[in-house]
Amino acid sequence: MAAFLEIDHVSKRFGGLRAINNVSFTIQRDEIAFIVGPNGAGKTTLFNLISGVYHPDEGSIRFDGQELSNFRPDQAAKLGIGRTFQIVKPLRNLTVLENVMLGAFLHTSSPSKAAEEAREVLRYLQMEKAMSFPASGLPLPMLKRLEIARALATKPKLILLDEVVAGLSTTEALALAALLKRLPEWGIAAVGGVEHVMQVVMSVAHRVIVLDHGTLIAEGTPQEVVHKPEVIEAYLGTKYKEMGL
Amino acid sequence: MLNGILTGALYALVGMGMALIFGVMRIVNFAHGAFMMLGMYAAYVLFQHTKINPYIGFLFAGVVLFALGWLTYKGLLKPIRGQSDFMQILLTLGLSLILSDGILLIFGADYHQINIPLLGKNIHIGPHITFNAPWVISFFIALVLAALLYVFVMRTMIGRAARAIAQNRYAAPLMGINVHRVQAISFGVGVAAAGIAGALLLPVFYLYPGVGDQFTLKAFVMVVLGGMGSIQGAAFAGLVLGVVESLTSLYWGNEWALAVDFVIFILVLSLKPSGLFGSQRV
Amino acid sequence: MKRSYLLIAAVAFALSLLVPLVVRTDYVLQILFRIYLFAALGLAWNLVGGYTGQLSLGHAAYFGAGAYGLAILSREGLPLWLSLICAVLVALLFAWLIGGVSFRLRGPYFALATIAFAEVLRVLAKNLVKLTGGDVGIQVPPMFTSAVIGKFYLSSVGLTILAFGITVGISHSRFGYYLMAIRDDEDTALSVGVNAARVKLYALFISAALTAIAGALYGSLFLFVVPDQVLSIDISNEIAIVAMLGGAGTVLGPIVGAVVLESASELLKSIFQEAHLLIYGVLLVVVVLFMPEGVVGTIQSVFRRKELAPPPGFVKPQAQAPVIK
Repeated sequence: MAAFLEIDHVSKRFGGLRAINNVSFTIQRDEIAFIVGPNGAGKTTLFNLISGVYHPDEGSIRFDGQELSNFRPDQAAKLGIGRTFQIVKPLRNLTVLENVMLGAFLHTSSPSKAAEEAREVLRYLQMEKAMSFPASGLPLPMLKRLEIARALATKPKLILLDEVVAGLSTTEALALAALLKRLPEWGIAAVGGVEHVMQVVMSVAHRVIVLDHGTLIAEGTPQEVVHKPEVIEAYLGTKYKEMGL
Repeated sequence: MLNGILTGALYALVGMGMALIFGVMRIVNFAHGAFMMLGMYAAYVLFQHTKINPYIGFLFAGVVLFALGWLTYKGLLKPIRGQSDFMQILLTLGLSLILSDGILLIFGADYHQINIPLLGKNIHIGPHITFNAPWVISFFIALVLAALLYVFVMRTMIGRAARAIAQNRYAAPLMGINVHRVQAISFGVGVAAAGIAGALLLPVFYLYPGVGDQFTLKAFVMVVLGGMGSIQGAAFAGLVLGVVESLTSLYWGNEWALAVDFVIFILVLSLKPSGLFGSQRV
Repeated sequence: MKRSYLLIAAVAFALSLLVPLVVRTDYVLQILFRIYLFAALGLAWNLVGGYTGQLSLGHAAYFGAGAYGLAILSREGLPLWLSLICAVLVALLFAWLIGGVSFRLRGPYFALATIAFAEVLRVLAKNLVKLTGGDVGIQVPPMFTSAVIGKFYLSSVGLTILAFGITVGISHSRFGYYLMAIRDDEDTALSVGVNAARVKLYALFISAALTAIAGALYGSLFLFVVPDQVLSIDISNEIAIVAMLGGAGTVLGPIVGAVVLESASELLKSIFQEAHLLIYGVLLVVVVLFMPEGVVGTIQSVFRRKELAPPPGFVKPQAQAPVIK
């Protein structure tokens, strides 16, 4: 069976900097994978490549059989790739419900139907009480959930979650992780990006991919990856402890 | 075409002022031309009352306009600093209306002109090339001032501070930069440059309240053409504009000159938005 | 809430249509014509400027296209109604060209580009004398031959009703949501599948079409147009200011803005003669400094703050209370 998402020898340069260097991996249809790497390792660039914001200089990206390399972000979204942004981008002048409706509009043109679907998603993410608040007034944990809600409302086949737990307390992060764990039940594959392997990743991910300075240095289950010498080397010192040994 | 270079030098002065204000400080100043017009009137009033000609009087214009610019920043622009560009455009547009209509009320709508003995003098180089003396003097003064402006922006503490603020608004105060003071001064300098250009233009241009409007737009064209953040780029663009306009006038007639300016503008924005020397993305 | 507003609007429009029965003075009707025309223009501009957040200062391009289109095509022999339709098509062509280039630009560059395009058109109108009559101007055929002012007034009310209806319709549709999303954050909109470039262009098409019809009405009333009148940056500014003053992004804003600005303008012109532009400018500065959301916008904000404050117990203790701006 062809892999769901195929990153095939992809490279991306910005001026003299090789942000992504000959990276290859695949994601299966009902997998949750996490891309791990310190800040600057290339996670966001990779997400931007998959979602159509950037285009690869070399190699190709295939999603569900489709060649993605020249797609605009809105075309990628229509294909079924949803994403959240590392620095949250809510639509500040709209309410929480309206923000999520925007995602729902991908599959319906009726505002009432979109509102219904948006409400459902918000209920799943336990945000019903906040539905009519303007997005500009929300605290960060809720904004992160809003990002996810909006992306989920587009009924994606694959959702990209860039630093989705960054800035959250451990309790918050684990709560979110429990929700994410259920995504494959609905046929949504997920690729998350985090700075270092932590409890969230260990409990949720089927697979972990480790990036360092744009290069893929390790791949495997969370348990496997955490013991690999290359990975431990990339994370020296105090981060050693956080590897969950 | 050589006349184009002379005009271009004055354009460059206006453009460099705008480069400082829009290119470096990112303030969208639609009143730039109005300030230039005020500089013209300031020099005119000085001449009428004291017979001091604009080639010395421009200093007076510069000082007056600096003060005005400084006040404008402190009183009008600082309060809206957090808001969108849209608001700056509207505010400066309003200011421009106030200034030009105000001048209209004080001086009337008539065209004015000044007469100084220098006007009739021409400088001949060889059998074919003739320069009108006032333009030559303006050119050299503009050149000196342009150089000074360049030094101000690139070398002095204030200039550097202004550029630092432009690059990172949040880090600048942490470095000990008093953001509003620097910006008020920089804005004043930028406006003063326009005012001086106006004063220098006085002997060779008709003076009327609306004279500044075309210059506002041209100033923006220069900054975009030269590249955002590049003072020398705007200066070069000013020269280019001057030359292009004079060539256009020669072959197609005066009226097309403004259109050509804008066509260039549109072409630059579509094809190379960072301008000739610019480093920032649009 | 919306239902009652619509009702009030309907009643107001109905009353407006009855005005010519009561008011007979041409002078007053002409002022009312101007108010409604600018209300329609403001509403049209609002689709692009307010809802989509693209500050166009070159709408004179479409206004002039309407006026000149009507004039030139009529002169070439087309019947009036056909000339009008074709004039609108010309405006749409301009919108396609202008939007295609300008929408790729962000922030002030977009505004500057729109100004540039309008200015180019103005210079073209001044210089292509055989086509447009140049500086001297061109004759525009009258749309009505009897009870002229009254009928023009009714037409402007009609256009305003049309623009109003379109605005209300859009603000309740997916298209409207897409516009507002683009205004707030274009990247976010793209990430949920909004083809921003196409959506912006469609908004511009509607805006340009309405503006062109207004231009044609204007030209036809005065029977004559010159470039500096219908293609000038002053017209572009006036249109944008009307919407901003009243409240961009609101449905009623441009209408309120038009009423306030145009009546103030008339009043000032008759009292102060030459100083009216100055007071115009002062109004602008005052609005920007103290009422940036415009009249209607500011009023709405005050209400919203009361409606949507979350109940005290909602927010978790460690987070800060939501601040609604």
